[in-house]
Amino acid sequence: MRTHHSPARRHGETVDRVSGRIVTAGVAPPYSRLAPEQCAALSEASLEILERTGVRLLAPEAVELLARGGAAISEGNRARIPRRLVERALETAPRRVVLHDRSGRPALPLEGARTYFGPGSDCPRIVDHRTGERRAARLADVRDAARLCDALPNIDFVMSLFIPSDAPPALADRLQFEAMVGNTTKPIVFVTYEMSGCADVVAMAEAVAGGADALRERPFVACYINVTSGLVHNTDALEKLLFLAGKGLPALYVPVVSGGTSGPMTMAGGLALSNAGALAGLVISQLKREGAPFVLPGFGGDALDMRTMVDPYCAPEPRGMAESLGHRYGLPLFTLGGGSESKVVDGQASVEAGLTMLLGALSGGHLFHDLGYLESGLTGSLAQLAVCNEIAGWIASATAPVEITPETLALDLIDAAGPEGSFLKLPHTRRHMRERWYPTLFDRDNHAGWLAKGGRSLSDRAAEQVSAILERHRPEPLPAEAAAAVRAIVARAAGDIPAALETEASRA
Amino acid sequence: MHDGLLAAMRRSILDGDPDRSAALAREAIERGLPPLDAVRHGFVPGLDEVGEGFAKGDLFLPDLVMAGEAMKAATAVLEPELQKTGARREILGRIVLGTVRGDIHEIGKTLVSTMLAAAGFEVHDVGVDVPAETFADRAREVGADIVGLSALLTTTMTAQRDVVRALDRDGLRPRVKVIVGGAPVTRAWAEEIGADGYGEDAVAAVSLARSLVGR
Ligand code: B12
Repeated sequence: MRTHHSPARRHGETVDRVSGRIVTAGVAPPYSRLAPEQCAALSEASLEILERTGVRLLAPEAVELLARGGAAISEGNRARIPRRLVERALETAPRRVVLHDRSGRPALPLEGARTYFGPGSDCPRIVDHRTGERRAARLADVRDAARLCDALPNIDFVMSLFIPSDAPPALADRLQFEAMVGNTTKPIVFVTYEMSGCADVVAMAEAVAGGADALRERPFVACYINVTSGLVHNTDALEKLLFLAGKGLPALYVPVVSGGTSGPMTMAGGLALSNAGALAGLVISQLKREGAPFVLPGFGGDALDMRTMVDPYCAPEPRGMAESLGHRYGLPLFTLGGGSESKVVDGQASVEAGLTMLLGALSGGHLFHDLGYLESGLTGSLAQLAVCNEIAGWIASATAPVEITPETLALDLIDAAGPEGSFLKLPHTRRHMRERWYPTLFDRDNHAGWLAKGGRSLSDRAAEQVSAILERHRPEPLPAEAAAAVRAIVARAAGDIPAALETEASRA
Repeated sequence: MHDGLLAAMRRSILDGDPDRSAALAREAIERGLPPLDAVRHGFVPGLDEVGEGFAKGDLFLPDLVMAGEAMKAATAVLEPELQKTGARREILGRIVLGTVRGDIHEIGKTLVSTMLAAAGFEVHDVGVDVPAETFADRAREVGADIVGLSALLTTTMTAQRDVVRALDRDGLRPRVKVIVGGAPVTRAWAEEIGADGYGEDAVAAVSLARSLVGR
């Protein structure tokens, strides 16, 4: 794939007048779905839920921390959390988290109006770009996805787009991480089933970074934790949260409320409830270790589709609400979109991905995940991921700051050319022509040109782009020593997990 | 003669109004409408209409669920009368339902549970992250006809097989039937582990359960 000149600055950046350096802090997103008073009302509602209804915590250490912090405990594990604990946690949590690349260079400052795009995770199935077939995903697909993300210029971080069916289930999370870290240098957001998997993955990341301190100072991984609901926090989720806070590593802590089933049908109540859960997580992380990096969910207020019973990933109604609220708190956000409920790489998939990504970018989505999802997170597609990369490039260009200077106004050239002048032969034209965005997938040929290239649709071109990249792209290899250390941890886990020996290939 | 009453019964189901359907059931008894007629010509047509509306996409899941609640309220009132006439309307069957060990996804499981109960099954919802032995124990305790297993993770699908084995070991099968579901589960998987049926959604779960108890 040809890479084109991209704008010097991206949306969400300003240039410091004194130092001339690009800054990302303190820049407000251009779009806010909610007004400040609405954010205040929602935040108040969440605080009331925490104080009045309380949250069930299925991990004793979390209950103890809260009890010592001043929460009222009933029924053994139901904590009613006073607002001062939340207010204090909002003060001690870092307002900026910087994800680094694999070699320890700062890559993604999560703050201000920035939005970084990455894939979704853990789809059991893949629509194979080579054949169009929908089949169980395999470990090779996880590797391919990571390698593709590594190559695509507008994909900023990596997740394991697939859950491999040919890996022993109990080891899948470790193997997913090994596959990712060996195939990309970009920051990684990982998911594990249980606490033990989380500890193993962190150990692998420490081995790669050069130790626990190095990883804490320059984290290239963050853990995505799903929580049962706003007010029920499952054991694994809490154990992971406490473990990561203890280590000073970033946790993305996401209680999920499904409107009409596990929470109110109305968006305000749904978001107030899931936000209450997120704030409870924040308090626990800060009680464990003040200043532990914590990333708030930038989504919420969703509902089950009451006609099909499917949990939609791209519903329009709640877009932007959680981002508004998150920006009010001023903490880093983990947002969601770029997927589709469509079963194939088609017009619907492009539209749902494009609109959600654009709104995410305008709302300051920080870490924005789920690119490449089809079928509401049950199927992933590399071709769709390539389409999303194209969309992300389009958005970066559409939201880039506009430069207005004597050079870009070009008044002298306009005057010299006069009313009938041509600009084609001017050096100025050649100097600036590559500042424009050129598609790598979207078709701009004339009709004859399009026919000459096979007269194909976007999905066909995307599949071809994926094949070409996978054929050619060789990511910077993981240093042999680090790779061996990672392998050793996988092997040890395989020894610890007897069930791992019973492989379950080609089940789904 | 009872046309107005029957129409009101149908309406109470469409409105999903359990208070109203129960009141109409009492009115039927007072006015001497045979209870079986009340069920067949009053309430059931409402239920059918809701089912059709849902299939067409005009009605939503909560319409279906509340129609089921209204139906339950009406039959609770009519049940004693039905028994007197010997035309006892029994429960369709007993089902133990839960999400398997290691898995905390409950939304789909709870929907299936609600719909089965609304359809007239006695459902024992054992919750999430449930060990295989618990399914077997509860099935024995309540005399279950069916055990329903939900799994949303490829890693926990294998636990569905553990339950099948536990039921086999306890000698509960083939009398107790096993049905499985959840997003990653397929018909092929159900066959592989020797389950008796697979349902892709809550509506399919109801027809599957009905067919397994011969209703
Ligand atoms: C909501 C959700 C959650 C919520 C669950 C909230 C709750 N209280 O239930 C939370 C946030 C807690 C969660 C957690 C996790 N999740 Co989750 N989750 C989902 C999601 C988005 C929707 C599930 C849902 O509720 N759908 C709506 C309901 C109504 O549908 P349903 O469950 O499929 O049920 C219907 C049918 O399947 C059927 N059915 C269901 N059960 C039964 C039973 C019988 C007998 C029958 C006949 C039919 C039947 O009828 C139901 C109604 O029509 C799915 C993606 C998806 N599209 O499915 C991921 C998904 C299932 N989760 C996934 C993952 C990875 C996880 C986590 C491991 C992530 C993590 N590490 O934090 C954890 C797992 C924790 C654990 N140990 O279980 C993956 C699964 C990958 C895999 N390995 O297979 C998915 C596919 C998303 C993804 N791509 O990442 N999750």
